[in-house]
Amino acid sequence: MSELANDIKKASLEASERTGLTVTHIAARRGARASLDDVARTAFGVSLPSSPKAVEAQGALIVWTGPDQWLIVQKDETGLDHYAELAKTFNGLASLVDVTDSRTIFRIAVSRPSETLLRSMGIDFHDNSFRPGDVAITHVSHLGVIVWRLPDGTAYDFACARTYSRDFADWLRKTMA
Amino acid sequence: MRINCPHCGERSLDEFSYLGDAVVRPDPASPNAQDAFYAYGYERANVAGPMQELWYHAAGCHAWLVVTRDTRTHEISEVKSAQEVALARQKVAGTAQ
Ligand SMILES: [Zn+2]
Repeated sequence: MSELANDIKKASLEASERTGLTVTHIAARRGARASLDDVARTAFGVSLPSSPKAVEAQGALIVWTGPDQWLIVQKDETGLDHYAELAKTFNGLASLVDVTDSRTIFRIAVSRPSETLLRSMGIDFHDNSFRPGDVAITHVSHLGVIVWRLPDGTAYDFACARTYSRDFADWLRKTMA
Repeated sequence: MRINCPHCGERSLDEFSYLGDAVVRPDPASPNAQDAFYAYGYERANVAGPMQELWYHAAGCHAWLVVTRDTRTHEISEVKSAQEVALARQKVAGTAQ
């Protein structure tokens, strides 16, 4: 068990580190937003969100991460190179970076935020404001995070820089203790 | 103070960093470029009232914003994406030619 997983277990949190994922950051090339959207609709059946939303499509979660930028989170499948597939799909229309190893994604598997989690966030995290499928890029205790609520409302995911994952786990422990 | 980011919604000041006056950088090809750049770099207007400023949503979506803020009251009357403002200025400059 990794030290990080151990930390989480010790704290007996309802949080876990998500593994077995490919995470790709994509940014639309200048002037290519409309054609990129056409290609995305053909490949995933949905438009790329243009506001802070996450949409599920064909087993992938497409997360808005700023104007004309997204994270695509996909579960690893044997014999499939998600990044190479995406690079082929969006060739010439977007710049892609495989950020799988530079991000850690934590999942808090609760359908509603606990009181402490609510109070620990700088943004309005209330059940009525931060709805299923909502995304926010913000910080917690000076650590940058992208947080999204799963479109089916079953969990919250927090993506932080992997270098800071121990600190983030520490924040989680204090928040949820 | 809170800033209503056009991309993220209303966020607390600690997510933003301040650059300063959102005046347009002078054209380096213009005949008075040296004086214009001197003024741009050193002759700062100390506005008492509404002014357009550049803010960066550093801990959020990483977009540059043009914020119209009253320096006396911190009241913010408008927030626009800097990209949009720049494109609109280019358009105006284009039609003037
Ligand atoms: Zn923003």
